[in-house]
Amino acid sequence: MTGATATQAARLLAAAARRRRLRVDPMGAALTALTLVAALAFFFPLYWALVTTVKPEVEVVRPGLRLWPETFTLEACAFVLTNSRILVWYLNSVVTSVAVTLLVILSSLLAGYALSQIAFPGRRLLYGMILASFIVPISALIVNHFLLVHRLGLLDSWAGIVLPQLIHPVVIIVYKQFFDAIPKEYREAAVVDGAGHFQLLFRIFLPMTTSVTAALAIITLISAWNNFLWPFLAQNSQEMMNVTVGITQVREAYGIRYARETASAVIAGLPMVMLNLVFQRQITRAIVLSGGIKA
Amino acid sequence: MPQVEFEKVGKSFGALAVMRELSFRIEDGEFAVLVGPSGCGKSTLLRMLAGLEEITAGEIRIAGRAVNDLPAKDRDIAMVFQSYALYPHMRVVENMGFSLRLRRAPKAAIAERVGAAARTLGLDRLLERYPRELSGGQRQRVAMGRALVRSPSVFLFDEPLSNLDAKLRVQMRTELRHLHQKLGATTIYVTHDQVEAMTMADRIVMMRDGAIEQVGRPLEIYDRPANHFVAGFIGSPAMNVLPGRIRAGADPAVALDGGGVLPLGHVPSLAPGRAVAVGIRPEHLRPDPDGPLLAEVEVIEPTGAETDLSCRCGGQPLMVALRDRGSYRPGQTLRLAPHAGPVHLFDAETSARLTHPESMIQEYDDDRHETRNG
Ligand SMILES: Nc1ncnc2c1ncn2[C@@H]1O[C@H](COP(=O)(O)OP(=O)(O)O)[C@@H](O)[C@H]1O
Ligand SMILES: [Mg+2]
Repeated sequence: MTGATATQAARLLAAAARRRRLRVDPMGAALTALTLVAALAFFFPLYWALVTTVKPEVEVVRPGLRLWPETFTLEACAFVLTNSRILVWYLNSVVTSVAVTLLVILSSLLAGYALSQIAFPGRRLLYGMILASFIVPISALIVNHFLLVHRLGLLDSWAGIVLPQLIHPVVIIVYKQFFDAIPKEYREAAVVDGAGHFQLLFRIFLPMTTSVTAALAIITLISAWNNFLWPFLAQNSQEMMNVTVGITQVREAYGIRYARETASAVIAGLPMVMLNLVFQRQITRAIVLSGGIKA
Repeated sequence: MPQVEFEKVGKSFGALAVMRELSFRIEDGEFAVLVGPSGCGKSTLLRMLAGLEEITAGEIRIAGRAVNDLPAKDRDIAMVFQSYALYPHMRVVENMGFSLRLRRAPKAAIAERVGAAARTLGLDRLLERYPRELSGGQRQRVAMGRALVRSPSVFLFDEPLSNLDAKLRVQMRTELRHLHQKLGATTIYVTHDQVEAMTMADRIVMMRDGAIEQVGRPLEIYDRPANHFVAGFIGSPAMNVLPGRIRAGADPAVALDGGGVLPLGHVPSLAPGRAVAVGIRPEHLRPDPDGPLLAEVEVIEPTGAETDLSCRCGGQPLMVALRDRGSYRPGQTLRLAPHAGPVHLFDAETSARLTHPESMIQEYDDDRHETRNG
């Protein structure tokens, strides 16, 4: 190729690139706009809650939509923190949701391993039952749970909150599927090396699925923290309430004060918002994992 | 006492029987190669020996002790997998020390044994790496190191070299042999590659379809294949097989179906007219103006050291491997004679070997030394 044709070719290529850059894909633009609108729609209530929290009550109840507060105040937050048992509720939430998370992960790990790696009679039946229980909504069982926990004398206790929440078939199913997918040579190499079931699980299988475990732990934690219905039924004394239940008491105790209510909701949700921000990747992964389950 | 013994071992997966009545023994310190086409049951056999697969019939003994019901970890064996199966979340040093850690060996002892194995295999500088940071050849070495660390009484290898490139494979072949000479541990090595079997084995166990076709030293099997199948599998290019019939008459000979009469040496008891298959290795054929075989050259494949002629002889394919470069061209007709090696006779129906090669040495054999040395 001569120098002249080479420069010409380069010029043509550059022009083509420019055209490509400038051309707007109408479909793409429409989709982007739609996504933007949807994102705004999702984001607005959150924003509104935050803004309401820092407004004085008078401004909250004033008619009309003001996107930005005229005066900033932390009065609502301060009130909630000082005049309710929110710190105790927090502690209850932390203890119960961390306990739920640890126990769910541990028991599902064991169950998933057994279902995936140990041939025992009734394995398929058991797995079928777990899959089926995944279809039954927890709220359909909640009356039974209530009666059971009541008979066990565990209402108004951490154990009573934790126990029914340990039913988490999805986590078992995800673990089983991941363990199924680990090439059998790893297991066999470890068996020849002298590993038993617990060593296989905790030294080979678990470390090979740490990202799955992280993802599952985080969504379990978030769903336990955000759980309302069961704690609402099982906790009656202010001392034992989770923060999600406790914040409903703010209204009952002090009449409707929107700023205080949203402030307590924001405070209750804060740790999960932070978790969401930090572990965005794992959470997305977990949602994909549990959504991709083939029954 | 043989180190490893299989006695009438059978294996079924559910209703599917993949192995029947399999018996052989491997002596202490031997390097045995289990060879056969893929799917013939080599891995299954190895895994049964390792304790990874249940033994459904018969008995396997290691050092005289039946191991059928012994868990893998108590069999004193180590296994190297085709995929290496290095634990991805452990460094090389942890991978190699894993079995000792499981056995609760003292830290100092583990470090010492891992260090020694690493030196033997040239892994000293890779100990802190993760498997994903290693090349294929290095991973292979680590897999061997993991086995070595335990100094087991039996080493098992399942096609350990098949994921390496050709050059590295040849190099590792030598190195493995070398290692075996140094350690002297009984080794069972599975491969589908007859070259690996021939070059590495003290003893070859030739398998097909879950059955043993022949057990013997490499040259024994090469010189005296028990049947067609073994004859075709061991040696490259594969042995030629030509159908024919024992000719009536004073001099023992085979009339080939494709034309031509192949004189044989002394053949005692084969009835005239009996259908046979004649086996001649490509390297045991050479041009000879008086030769009994008339072949047409179809393709010429020079390898440098050798010239392979792919021919047709009476409608049958015939390979000829010549040590010279000659000047051959496609379409040329050649007269060929067997020399410097046995003519094998197999039963046409059962394909079993009919004679021993000693009795088959025939008249073209007188110039053997000339060609071997020339
Ligand atoms: N877990 C299994 N279930 C059923 N059949 C199997 C199983 N493992 C191996 N086989 C069958 O056993 C035969 C031997 O397999 P394998 O030992 O892997 O052969 P090779 O290692 O010689 O290639 C094959 O026909 C294979 O399909
Ligand atoms: Mg195999």
